[in-house]
Amino acid sequence: MAQTLFEKIWDSHKVIEINGRTLVYIDRHLVHEVTSPQAFDGLRINKRKVRRPDLTFATMDHNVPTSNRSLPIIDQISATQIQTLEKNCQEFGIKLFDLHSQYQGIVHVIGPELGITMPGTTIVCGDSHTSTHGAFGAFALGIGTSDVEHVLATQCLVLDKPKTFEVEVTGKRKNTHAITAKDIILSIIKKIGTGGGNGTVIEYRGDTIADLSMDERMTICNMSIEGGARAGLVAPDEKTFDYLKSRKYTPKNYDDLVENWRKNLKTDQGAKFDKSFTLDASNIAPQVSWGTNPAMTADVTGSVPDPAEFAGGDQSQENAAKNALEYMDLKPGTLITDIKIDRVFIGSCTNARLQDLIEAASIIKGNKVSPGVRAMVVPGSQQVKKAAEELGLDKLFKEANFEWRESGCSMCLGMNPDVLARGERCASTSNRNFEGRQGAGGRTHLVSPIMASAAAIAGHFVDVRELV
Amino acid sequence: MGKVIKYAKDNIDTDVILPGQYLKLHDYEDIAKHAMEGIDPEFHSKVKKGDFIVAGKNFGCGSSREHAPIALSHCGISAVLAISFARIFYRNSVDGAFLLPIEIDEQTYQKISNGDDLEVDTKKNEIKNLTKNETYKMKPFSEIVSKIIAAGGLFRYKPD
Repeated sequence: MAQTLFEKIWDSHKVIEINGRTLVYIDRHLVHEVTSPQAFDGLRINKRKVRRPDLTFATMDHNVPTSNRSLPIIDQISATQIQTLEKNCQEFGIKLFDLHSQYQGIVHVIGPELGITMPGTTIVCGDSHTSTHGAFGAFALGIGTSDVEHVLATQCLVLDKPKTFEVEVTGKRKNTHAITAKDIILSIIKKIGTGGGNGTVIEYRGDTIADLSMDERMTICNMSIEGGARAGLVAPDEKTFDYLKSRKYTPKNYDDLVENWRKNLKTDQGAKFDKSFTLDASNIAPQVSWGTNPAMTADVTGSVPDPAEFAGGDQSQENAAKNALEYMDLKPGTLITDIKIDRVFIGSCTNARLQDLIEAASIIKGNKVSPGVRAMVVPGSQQVKKAAEELGLDKLFKEANFEWRESGCSMCLGMNPDVLARGERCASTSNRNFEGRQGAGGRTHLVSPIMASAAAIAGHFVDVRELV
Repeated sequence: MGKVIKYAKDNIDTDVILPGQYLKLHDYEDIAKHAMEGIDPEFHSKVKKGDFIVAGKNFGCGSSREHAPIALSHCGISAVLAISFARIFYRNSVDGAFLLPIEIDEQTYQKISNGDDLEVDTKKNEIKNLTKNETYKMKPFSEIVSKIIAAGGLFRYKPD
């Protein structure tokens, strides 16, 4: 029978079915400092070992400072959480890329970069943005701490079989620098809503997806969770195979594996999805979120909507939009390009890979960050940082008064020193514009890296199609 | 029995249930002090053991932090009644048997008011509103979810 890519991966990882639920084998487990300490405590209390330390990889990213790494961490609670991960990895024999490792970085950036992420595999991590790894044709999903403990102990996870959701993106983008993967995924979420993908695994398909680079596909898969999906994936192709060749952990029999993947890792012709959605990318504009969830997004050429119009008769949506505008201190009808910003954050597992930084730097062209705006560039990993510095991007950014920082989650989630002050407004390349996400009372506008960089220079949002 | 704390909103996300800066905390009681701080800084001082949260669609969307149901459960919340839940929050609630994620329909959601006294009977799949003297249906838990909850969490559950 014709099968979807997801169904093939699911079937090949099925251990046993119990009461209608499936025990699924996990190929790779990524661990970070925030969602793991209680899981390791659980192992110790029950005198359990880590079942496959060789398939488990750890790094610290969420609460690490992105300032000078030679200085001690001032926040003692953060320091304790980081030391706890070090101790746990040592005790249980897990490979750790610590703060001083050349491979440290955001867990979802280093997985692919090190060749830990592989097509056709199952990947879990105690982090909702694990969906990023789906860009390589893996079934990758975020889990909570109890499940982290379960996978550490058993290398398996009990799951209900998700439904399948085809998201087809077609049409040539008119300007591939200005209309980015971020604009595509925000456009999708704007249409399907924050719960549109509930209970499903999305497969992103179509000629526009095939045209995207691996860095761009990761941006798309990363935000699958913002559309409510369990995971998102893209069938692997030659770009995928080239990307993963000769990475640190690429298997020795890689060429044989690729031959097999080329034949099998795709959705069969005639396979049925439970649900479908199509986006025409040929006429989308750069996107800017105006509200407090990622579906509350507008074209840069548009304006802040009227809550009633936005809701189209749905009272609950109307109230949500009213609350969002109050929190964001915005008035309906305000042009997006008239919104002034205080801060810029270029970083996060959504948009902190090399291509993101190249695009952000491309529009500096001798300009400087607008006076009164503080702009930060935070590479996703030490490897990204090094590659960017080899291209001289650090100099470009610094000369334009952007801060060039060390790798980590940084200002995406407000749990390390990089936070917004109450009332500050930020153009951010991260994934969530929830209330308080970047710091209590902070106001987040989600945009692409090039849009964030342009906003830093202008001091307000601009349509980057006029610049590139 | 417990009182209802109602948030008449959809998409209550994990960043308001437990803001990111408290993810560093290790002790569950410390984490609980900051529950719902993102939208209701008074929450911790008003919640009592056995109380319920009532909310709209997609409750718990966002991050995979298990700290979110842990925070609610450790300050006394016995169940969240919502029109729908985000997957990871639902799963985390059940895995650790922290609280009952109960799905209700739109009408039930409208009928329950802030401050109402409720009783939940998961055997009969009924919610009794003692304040209004009304009874509502809840969506029954799937068989495996009931078993995990009855066992007291994923690690105590043994398949038949």
